[in-house]
Amino acid sequence: MAGKQGDAGAGGGKSVIKGLSFISSPSSGDANTSVVDVKNGRVVRVRPLHYDWKYDREGFNAWRMEAHGQVLEPSFKSLVPPYALSYKKRVYSPNRILHPMKRVDWDPAGDRNPQNRGASKYVEISWDEALDLVTAEIKRMFATYGPYAILSQGDGHGETKIVHGTHGCQNKLFQLMGGFTQQIRNSDSWEGSYWGSKHAWGMEPVGQMEPVCNLMPDIGENTELLLFWGCDPETTPWAFDGQMASRLCSWWREIGIECIFISPDLNYGGAVHADKWIPVLPNTDAALYLGIAHQWITEGTYDKDYVATHTFGFDKFTDYVLGKEDGEAKTPAWAAAKCGVPARVIKALAEKWASKRTSILIGNGGPGIRGPYATEPARLQALLLAMQGLGKPGRHQVKMLEWGRRMLEDSNPMPRGVVMPNVMKHVYTGGMLITTENTEDRTGDMSRTAVKALKVAKQIIPKNLIHDAILRPPISWYGTTSCTFPLEDQFTQYTYPAPGCPEVHMIWTDSPCWITCWNDSNDYIRALRHPKIECIVAQHPWMENDCMFADLILPANTKLEVSDIATDTMGGQFYLVLNEEQAIEPRGESFSDYQIICKVAERLGLLQEYTNGKTVEELIETGFQHSGIQEMIGAEEFKDKGYYVVPTDPKWHEYTPGLKNFSDDPENHPLKTPSGKVEFFAQNLAEHFPGDEERPPVPHWIEKGISHDECLSSERTEKYPLLVISNHPRWRCHANHDDITWTREIPTCKVVGPDGYKYEPAWLNPATAAERGIKDGDVVTVYNERGAVLCGAYVTERLMPGCVYVDHGARYDPIVPGELDRGGAINTLTPHNLTSKNSTGMVSSGFLAEVERTDLDDLRRRYPEAFSRPYDKGAGLCLDRVLARSAKGGA
Amino acid sequence: MAKVMIIDITKCNGCYNCQIACKDEHVGNDWTPIAKPQPDTGQFWMRTEDIVRGQVPKVKVAYMHHVCQHCDDAPCIAACKSHAVYKREDGAVIIDPGKCTGQRNCLAACPYGAIYYNEDLQLAQKCTWCAHLLDEGWKEPRCVDACPTGALKFGEEADFADLIAGAEVLSAGAGDAGAAVGAAAPPKVRTYYIGIPKRFIAGSVYDPAQDRCLEGVTVTVADEAGAPVASRVTDSFGDFWVDGLPVGTFSVAFEKAGYRSKSLDGVDTTIDINVGDIELSR
Repeated sequence: MAGKQGDAGAGGGKSVIKGLSFISSPSSGDANTSVVDVKNGRVVRVRPLHYDWKYDREGFNAWRMEAHGQVLEPSFKSLVPPYALSYKKRVYSPNRILHPMKRVDWDPAGDRNPQNRGASKYVEISWDEALDLVTAEIKRMFATYGPYAILSQGDGHGETKIVHGTHGCQNKLFQLMGGFTQQIRNSDSWEGSYWGSKHAWGMEPVGQMEPVCNLMPDIGENTELLLFWGCDPETTPWAFDGQMASRLCSWWREIGIECIFISPDLNYGGAVHADKWIPVLPNTDAALYLGIAHQWITEGTYDKDYVATHTFGFDKFTDYVLGKEDGEAKTPAWAAAKCGVPARVIKALAEKWASKRTSILIGNGGPGIRGPYATEPARLQALLLAMQGLGKPGRHQVKMLEWGRRMLEDSNPMPRGVVMPNVMKHVYTGGMLITTENTEDRTGDMSRTAVKALKVAKQIIPKNLIHDAILRPPISWYGTTSCTFPLEDQFTQYTYPAPGCPEVHMIWTDSPCWITCWNDSNDYIRALRHPKIECIVAQHPWMENDCMFADLILPANTKLEVSDIATDTMGGQFYLVLNEEQAIEPRGESFSDYQIICKVAERLGLLQEYTNGKTVEELIETGFQHSGIQEMIGAEEFKDKGYYVVPTDPKWHEYTPGLKNFSDDPENHPLKTPSGKVEFFAQNLAEHFPGDEERPPVPHWIEKGISHDECLSSERTEKYPLLVISNHPRWRCHANHDDITWTREIPTCKVVGPDGYKYEPAWLNPATAAERGIKDGDVVTVYNERGAVLCGAYVTERLMPGCVYVDHGARYDPIVPGELDRGGAINTLTPHNLTSKNSTGMVSSGFLAEVERTDLDDLRRRYPEAFSRPYDKGAGLCLDRVLARSAKGGA
Repeated sequence: MAKVMIIDITKCNGCYNCQIACKDEHVGNDWTPIAKPQPDTGQFWMRTEDIVRGQVPKVKVAYMHHVCQHCDDAPCIAACKSHAVYKREDGAVIIDPGKCTGQRNCLAACPYGAIYYNEDLQLAQKCTWCAHLLDEGWKEPRCVDACPTGALKFGEEADFADLIAGAEVLSAGAGDAGAAVGAAAPPKVRTYYIGIPKRFIAGSVYDPAQDRCLEGVTVTVADEAGAPVASRVTDSFGDFWVDGLPVGTFSVAFEKAGYRSKSLDGVDTTIDINVGDIELSR
C-alpha cells in the first residue's frame, strides 16, 4: 500500500479526477474514480485515486466488517478495472470520429439510397454544413409529418456524464419543438427478473431483491453457502462499480464460506473463487431449480413454517413439482435430462442448500436471466429462496454490482456514507424518459422519485421492438419495458403508432450499439435500410456499430475533453463527489453530447430555452450546491482538491439488513404482491394473462412454445445442435472498449486469425471442438437461420460440452450486411421474439446454433471488398475503413 | 535499502490491471534515462498468463506473472558488452537506453525471458520497477498501484521477511518461450512468488446403485514407489482435490467402509487431472 502516492509525478503537469464508470445513466451515479495525469496537453497516465491524497484517512470514518474473527476494510484507493487504466487508448483511438461526416450517397435533395446503409462510405464535412443538413431534416420532419416522426435513441452504456449528457440530450430539444418518439431501453440485463421474479415477490422496480441494505456484512456473519448463479463477480461489476466485488469474494472464502458457481462456463469469478463449479446447460436453470424443489418437497427439507406464513399458493406449486398437474414429477432425474447436471449432484446440492444458511448472488447478464422464457428460472430462484427462509440472517439474494443503483440506499448492500451525494438535480439534461410537462424538474429529480414520478412520452417504442415497429407496424406490447417502471405498468398495453402519432421517419441515435447488443439485429439492419427511414443521425465519439448505418455523423467527445461534476457512489468503499476538471483539449472538431445539441438548438433558435440560459460552469456549480456535501466542504476547497470523500455513516450497521422486516413480521411488512407475500401462484398473472402458457401463474419448465423453440429437444437441433451462451463481456462494457490495443492482446479478448485479424473468441469445449475438427485458434463460423458470424475458436475446459460461448458487444464488421459478420457480433444470431408472448423482454442467450471451421480463402474470393478494407493490427476496425478515400492496407 | 516484489498467485483475480497499467505507463511515454517508450503492442514487461487447470467440471484458473526478477548479479548485466545494464541501490536492474547498442546479448542471457527487443528503437527493454516514479517519491510501480487484490506487493526486503520465508522463486526457463535455455537461475532474485501452481488430481466418487454422491471416501494418492503422498476425504458432492503435486505418475486409491475399494494406476500429472466420476459399489 503506497502512502500518498498522489502527485502527478514524472516532471509535473496536472492531475485531474474523472469517474470512469460506464453505466452511462448518471441517475445511478458514477464510479471507478481515476486520476488522469496530463502533461503538455496529452494524457500521460490514468491511475487509481488514493482517497487520502488530499485528506487524512481519519476523517473518512472507514467501515470495518468483522466476521469469524476476520476484518474487511476499504482499501483506501479506487479499485478500478482495466477499462479505466487503458482509457487513454479510447481517447486517442484511431477509431475516433473527429469531424462531422456525411454518407457519400445520401442526398437529401435527391436519392437517399437507404439500401446502401452499412455499405457505403463517408466524407468529412464542415460543422456548418452538418448543422445545415441536420436542422433542415429536423424541420422537414416536423413540417411534413408533425411531431413524433423523429425516433430518439438515447440510452445504452457509455461514459457517465452529468452536464454533458450522455444519453438523450436531444430529447429536451425535440420536446421543445413539439415532441418525439422515445426509444425505451428494455431491461436488457435482467429480463427474467423484471418480467418474472417481480411477480413472485413484488420487488420494485427491477424485480431483483430490494432492499439489500447491509447484506454484505450480514452474509459475512451468517451465510454458510453462497451460490453464484449465472453470476460473474469478476466481470460484470467492472464497468459499473469496479473491483470491490472481487475483494468481497476473497474475504468470504478466507472466512470459510463455501462458494459454488452454477453456469455453463467457469466464468472469471468461478475461475478463482469457486470451491465447486456445477456446469448447467445454457438456459436450463428452471429444470435445475425444479429438481431441487422436488427433493425438498418429497424429503420435507424446506422451511415449512416460513412457507406457511410468508408465501401464497405453495400448494399449486407442489402440485406442479410433484407432477399432479401434468403427470410428470420434476425429480432430480427428470431435471438432469434437461439441464445436464447429474441427478446425484442435484440431490447433493439440494441437501447442502437445505442444511446451510444459503444466499444466491446474481450479476446482470448472466446465462440464466436473458434466455427464452427467462421469467421462469428467475421466478423459481426467488421461490426456492423463500422455501429456505428468505430474509432470515444469511439467506438473501444480492447483486454483485450496481450498488446504490438509482442513488437509493435500498439498493446498496455495502456500508453507507452519511449522505448519498447527487449532483444531477437541475443539471442533467439527458434522460431516458421524458414527460410531456415540466421537463426540468422531472429529469433533475428522477433519481429519488423514479417509480412514482415517471410518465410516458406520447409515443414510445421499446428498444427490442424497433425493427418490428419499422418493418411491421402497427404493433402492440405490454409495458413500457423501462426498468424504472412499477409492476402495474406490465399490464398496460401500448401501441405503435400511438393514437394520433405518425410513424417514425428519422432516427437520432447517441447509443449506437443496437446491432451488437440487441435482439435479431440482422432484422434491425433491414429496418435501418428501409426507405421510410429518410434520415439517420448518429452522435458518438467512435465509428462503430450502428454509426455505420447513419447518414450524418456528429463527432462527440470523451469526458476527458470537458469539465463536469460527478459522484462515485457504486464502488462499495466510500461515496465521493468529483470535480471533473477538463484534462485535454477536445480532439479534432468534437464537442460533448450536450454541446452538440446546444449547437443544433442555436441553429433552431432554441438555445435559450434549451439551456435555460445557464453556462456549463453554472451547471457544475448548481450540481455542487445541490449535491448534499455543500455544507461539508466549501465550493472553492472542493474545486481545488478535486474530490470529496463522504465519511461513512457512524450508524451504518444499524440499518435493517435486507428483508429482515418481512422475514420477522410479514403482516406488518408486506411485499408488493397482491397477497403481500411471496407468490408461488402469481395472482397478477392469473388475473391479467389467463391462459398464458408461456408465463403461467406457477412458474414452469417450458420446453417450447409459440414464441421460442430453442431447446436441445427441438427438431432444429438437426441443423443447430449447440446452445449459445452469451455473457456480458469481460473486456468490454457492452459495445464499449473494443478498440483498446492493450486488452486486444489478451487471449480471452481476441483470437488472432491466420490473416492477422483479431477475431472475437468463441469458446468451445475440447470435445465439442473435436467433433467438428476445430482446433484452438481456428477461424470458425457460428451460425443459425438468422445469420452467421466469424469468430476465433478458443478451445477450453472452462466451458461444458454441447454449447458455444461468445460475449456480446464485439464491433460489427459486415461481410454481407444483415447476413454475415466478421466482427463477431453474436447478437445478429439472437432470437427475434420477446422473452415470451406477454413478457416484453428480449432474448440474447440460450439459443441454438452450429459452429464450423471457416474457409477463409473461399470467403476472401467471394467478398474481396470486405476483406481488403483498412484494418489496424492493434485497434482493429478504424475510421479509415469508412472514409471514401483511404490509403492504408487491409487485413 | 534494496526492494523486492512479492507476487501472490493465490490472491490474483486475473484482471490484468498490472499488464495494462505497465503499458499505460510506458507506451507513448519517454522516461529516459530509465526507459524509452514501449511499443504499443507485443511487449509485456509485466506479463499475465492464464493457466487453465483440469477438465470439466474440475477446473481452476491460475494467473502466472512473468516479469524481470531484478536479480542481484544479474546475467544480463554480465552479458551486455556495452555496459548498458546496471544495478541500482534499490535493487532495480535497469537497461540504460542511452548506452544500449541493441546487441541483444542480454535477451539471450536472461533465464526468465523477461527482456524484449524494440525493433524500431533498436533497444533491449524490460521492467524498470517504474524507477522514474520511485525516484519522484512513489512507493510502488504502476502494476502494484493498480492491483486491486493485494496480489502484488512491493517494498523493502526486510519488511517482507515473513512473506519471503514462505515464498518461492521462479525456476530458470519457467514459463516463457524466450527464456534462455539451460541458463542457471542467479543465486539471488528480487521477485518472490507465493502459490506458483503445481499439479492437482481431482475427481468425484459416487454410488451407482443409489445414484448418490459418496461422502467420506478416503482418497489416497501414492507415488510410483507406492508411497502415499497425500490423502483426502470426499465431501458431500463426493469431490476430492489433491493439489500441490509435482509432475509425475501416481496411483489413486478409493476406500470407504462397506464399499469395495478401487484404485487407479498410472495417473499422469503432466497436466492437472480430473480422473472423472468414480463408481464405488458395495
